Amino acid sequence: MLLHRLPVMMIISTLIIAFLTPIFARWEREFCRYLAVAVTGINFLISIYLAFEILPGSPIIIYMGGWQSPWGIELKVDTMASIMLLLITGICFLVALYSLGILEMEIPREKTGWYYTAYLLLTAGMVGMVSTNDIFNLYVMVEIVSICACALVVVKGSKEATEATLKYLLLAAIGSGFILFAIGFLYMLTGNLNINYIAGELAMIKDIYPFVLWASLGFFVVGFGLKSALFPLHFWLPDAHSSAPFPSSVLLSSLVVKVYIIALLKIFYFVFGPKIFGQSTMPTLLLVLASMAMIIGSLFAFTQLDLKRRLAYSTVSQIGYIFLGLGLGTIWGLAAALLHIIVHAFMKACLFMTAGNIYYQTGKKNVRCFSGLGFTMPVTMIAFTVAIFSMVGIPFFGGFATKYGLALGSFERNHYFIVVLLILSGLLNAAYFFPIAWQAFFTGGAKEKIELDNVPLTMLLPVCILAVGIILLGIFPQVPLAALKKVASGLLASS
Amino acid sequence: MGKLDIIRLLNNFPFLIAIILFSLGCLIVLTQRNLIKKVIGINVMETSIFLFFIAAGNIKGAVPPIYNPAQGDVLYVNPIPQALILTGIVVGFSVTAFALSIIVSLYRFYGTVHVTELMKMR
Repeated sequence: MLLHRLPVMMIISTLIIAFLTPIFARWEREFCRYLAVAVTGINFLISIYLAFEILPGSPIIIYMGGWQSPWGIELKVDTMASIMLLLITGICFLVALYSLGILEMEIPREKTGWYYTAYLLLTAGMVGMVSTNDIFNLYVMVEIVSICACALVVVKGSKEATEATLKYLLLAAIGSGFILFAIGFLYMLTGNLNINYIAGELAMIKDIYPFVLWASLGFFVVGFGLKSALFPLHFWLPDAHSSAPFPSSVLLSSLVVKVYIIALLKIFYFVFGPKIFGQSTMPTLLLVLASMAMIIGSLFAFTQLDLKRRLAYSTVSQIGYIFLGLGLGTIWGLAAALLHIIVHAFMKACLFMTAGNIYYQTGKKNVRCFSGLGFTMPVTMIAFTVAIFSMVGIPFFGGFATKYGLALGSFERNHYFIVVLLILSGLLNAAYFFPIAWQAFFTGGAKEKIELDNVPLTMLLPVCILAVGIILLGIFPQVPLAALKKVASGLLASS
Repeated sequence: MGKLDIIRLLNNFPFLIAIILFSLGCLIVLTQRNLIKKVIGINVMETSIFLFFIAAGNIKGAVPPIYNPAQGDVLYVNPIPQALILTGIVVGFSVTAFALSIIVSLYRFYGTVHVTELMKMR
């Protein structure tokens, strides 16, 4: 019975502690940082336990407050949700560890408690979003995540961060409006809020009310696309992600934009079902937008000189890969999209953390002044190089597995031009990332002795863990892929 | 558009109003140059969604969903959309409060709430 309480406990305890951190901060400021590390660490352990229980067995379904499913809220932790829980809590734990060192120089001291409030609320919201099976509860979690993500940007208190947050908040509010409207359409059609019941009703009435159904699908795509920075709706992302404090950038870029995609995947395949989704023009639209995102995002990234802005634009192009897999809608495509969510979370977290380390030690942000850094901070730059190799898609690094999977998926659909686009996007990635690593290791004069990085161990350790994770994902991609292909075939077979 | 369609549209006019208000709110957020007006646009949008939900739960000639044994067997309106919208109002309130507080701090930085002037000062 404990197994059925754990996901709920994870969400609720994180929410409660989130609101206690400002009080702890008033009493003893240092304490709330270690509290956040402990809470996210415990969450990570719980998700490991859940994954061990769920991956071989059946999904667990929880009825909140003991109300059975059409009436009460239902939480459902299936294979996909448990893998994503593992990813979310793991990255959150690493970021909590990372922010022990760098937070001092990024945000005003008196805001530390409030920073951790937003941080833990965001964690709880993301965990709730991937595990809920109720469409209105999904909306509430989406709102928690959007508002906390904005709070994590504005906490820096600088002019740029405040401006970027206003832009982000207004667009996120528009996105939420679209999502709520779409939920209203679905509620009007089916009279249910539980995802399974909606799917059952929609299968019966899909021919009677086709226009309302398409409208609802379109509103969902616009709403979640706005929040997850699908290509033409991406314009808020570079400002928000580059002006945020470093730990927030890591979270925003590696997790927050992804959980919206998970939610959209749930809407596509669990609510509407592969039949209705496949009949609509939505997969084609997603393919076109994703292809444009992959190329144009990389081109924009090419012109940026600030490292964080370059990484932010690269997120836009990498989101394109994930949507490409969604648009392909084959087993390989979906499995590769899900794998790319994991791999990109690792890569982008690693890249933003190394950017933070460089800023911590040298105060440099411009990509043209990194010469010789390979000798003064070797560990950081090696991790950076591993991450960019994966980004470009060199074999035996994580990014290669997803590109290979996407290519196989496009062969299944006979869209051969996508392979060309994948290679082109990889080359563009190489063009804007390799010069940085080249500069760091091969210019700036040969140094006699190599010094170790002069940053705290808590900032170095997460970077190393992520780099090792990228290499492991690249050498043994079949381990996650086996589970993800099962998830993908489950998605395509649903209803 | 035939006569039947117009009658159908008039019978469902709350939905029409909701869609018009939603589009109007979206337009206000995207085109107005004053930041406060943008926030008002968000509010118009959210209110239109509330109207949509309430209209979806309404039944003509039904009474409010409060159980009264004296009334006997009567038709009640659907209470679930009203409960959902209560949550929606709280969310809308918090977004508005957050946006206004950010605008206050922007005003402290730049001394204006007008986007064009703000862009000039950067």
